[in-house]
Amino acid sequence: MPGLNPVALWRQLLALPNESRGKTLAMAFLVAAVCSLMVSMAAVVLQPQIDANKAAERQAKLDAMIAELPELAGVLAGAGADTLQTVIVDLKTGTETGELFDGFDMAEVAADPETSTELSDDQDIAGIGRRPDYAEIHVLKAGGKLELVILPVYAAGYQSTIRAFLALRGDLNTVAGLVVTEQGETPGLGANVATPAWQALWPGKKLADENGVLRLTVVRGRGTTEFEVDGITGATRTSTAVSDMIAFWTGPNGYAKLLDALRAGEL
Amino acid sequence: MSELFLRAIFADNLVLSYFLGLCTYLAISKRLDTALGLAAAMIVVQTLTVPINYLIQRYLLLEGAWAWAGLPDVDLTFLKLIAFIGVIAAAVQILEMTLDRYVPALYRALGIYLPLITVNCAILGGSLFMAERQYDFGESVVFGLGSGIGWALAIALLAAIRERLRYADVPEGLRGLGITFVVTGLISMGFTAFSSVALP
Amino acid sequence: MAGSRHRFFTPLIDENPVTLQILGICSALAVTTSMTTALTMSAALTAVLMAASGLISALRNHMPKSIRLILQITIIASLVIITDLVLQAYAFDISKRLSIFVSLVVTNCLVLGRAETFAMHNPPGPSILDGLGNALGYSLILMIVGFVRELLGRGTLFGFTVLPSVEDGGWFQPLGVMLLAPSAFVILGLLIWAIRAWRPAQVEANEYPLTARAEG
Repeated sequence: MPGLNPVALWRQLLALPNESRGKTLAMAFLVAAVCSLMVSMAAVVLQPQIDANKAAERQAKLDAMIAELPELAGVLAGAGADTLQTVIVDLKTGTETGELFDGFDMAEVAADPETSTELSDDQDIAGIGRRPDYAEIHVLKAGGKLELVILPVYAAGYQSTIRAFLALRGDLNTVAGLVVTEQGETPGLGANVATPAWQALWPGKKLADENGVLRLTVVRGRGTTEFEVDGITGATRTSTAVSDMIAFWTGPNGYAKLLDALRAGEL
Repeated sequence: MSELFLRAIFADNLVLSYFLGLCTYLAISKRLDTALGLAAAMIVVQTLTVPINYLIQRYLLLEGAWAWAGLPDVDLTFLKLIAFIGVIAAAVQILEMTLDRYVPALYRALGIYLPLITVNCAILGGSLFMAERQYDFGESVVFGLGSGIGWALAIALLAAIRERLRYADVPEGLRGLGITFVVTGLISMGFTAFSSVALP
Repeated sequence: MAGSRHRFFTPLIDENPVTLQILGICSALAVTTSMTTALTMSAALTAVLMAASGLISALRNHMPKSIRLILQITIIASLVIITDLVLQAYAFDISKRLSIFVSLVVTNCLVLGRAETFAMHNPPGPSILDGLGNALGYSLILMIVGFVRELLGRGTLFGFTVLPSVEDGGWFQPLGVMLLAPSAFVILGLLIWAIRAWRPAQVEANEYPLTARAEG
């Protein structure tokens, strides 16, 4: 029985005429097996590196966002080497969901009835209709102490939806910055919410007074207290929209539960 | 949807904006009637393969696609390419046999172009774009149809112009391939104008 | 030796796969908006073409005719997937910019064309050399088109500023149209003209010569 010897089998196979059925099947199978082995090995060996690249890309996007926040780059540099964490939170409970999914899209979450909550007219001061149940926030800790929280916020403006990031310092009451990332307001008037000059008015303002009453507003004309931000001349509705946006998202239907959880040292 | 459809035909034209299917585009555009035959075959195959590949990707390849079989962590995305090619080759083969069996007249008209289409990058490119841009099933049907029509439109235009070019006195070195590229460039320039058109 | 040198050098200009044989241009043009992507694409294609030519040539005596094409495509597709994964692992940014065009090397007529016409009839050594020669011919065209488009479109080469643009206080006004698709077609058309002016042997025969009309 020479057929049981693998080398002899191999020779026998090679000696078969090319067009025979056996050799056709054998070649198809062999090429398929070898190729799939090569591809699978490459995939297994390289996947960790590819995943690391994807994670690095996510981090880079975040860093680019931070770089836009006025004076935050300084805070980050001074806060120690800890990097920013990205957390998906459940707004109903104020807790972390533990999941981190790629391409989290707040608008998509808000549009899906399963992952959002309908707001009644008196709750809906920001004019957004439905509130997403989940949000992707960023948290910076240095030596275990909370330094910075970045919250995505949005509201219906005069002509468009205004989207922004609100950054709060570790006391969760001092504004570290407001960055408008998306708006389509009247050019030259309402669109000024996206200018660095206007956004520079925000750092240092306070959300609530000692009694815990939310007081931060955008006022007409010049702000006088640490709870007031100068309004934009000629763009009252846009200014009001930003004011309402802050009020809604820092209020009970927004991030209030999350902020409480953060104050209690959770997350 | 109509925006996607129109974009796929004009602004995101596979051949004029993404250079896909150029080999066949240049080789089979000398005469208008053969070009039209290829164009028709292209529309049919593209409209079929993009949605089929969508289903393959969604239910066999993506992470979590095997959850029903108790294998939620299996991610076969890296097999995408080989699966798409197989699907395209098989779809073209099946289409060829079906046409031969049931619509012999159409088979005679399109038959010789079908095998050419298997190795056409526009077909594979269409499926890969569908995967990269994460279209859903409806969008993949619309995108397949639109990009097929866009490709067909481009080759019909070029063939018509090349038939006219016969009567032109083209400089020696530019004759044939050279002038064809320049003409394609001009058509493409016209099509870029569509990208700035605001669609309804 | 003369034979192998010939095999290596003719595909560069005299039988350039892109400008003469219209092979493999599909992917060749889309990645030429910058030199970096053009170079990466060239490297990817060179690797795939050489490996595919070598492997297919090694198997040439044992490939049943009936399943020849599918075996070739399987081998090429596997090599392309591996190349794509390597790029994603070690050149992530560039691989994102190359988008689907690395995957499209599979349907690149150049690879299959060389496998079918050369590798199936020659031993592995010459086949690899033939693959290298053709890949370099392809790369040459890619680099020339990439050079023109990046230099005139952005004033940079490989991302380094060569012509300081007006925006940065220089004198050069970037030609935005160079970064759009039409310019690639026109540049390649003109390049073919230039090569054929230099090597008249490549000029295509006039199928419809103009003749003076007979009087009467």
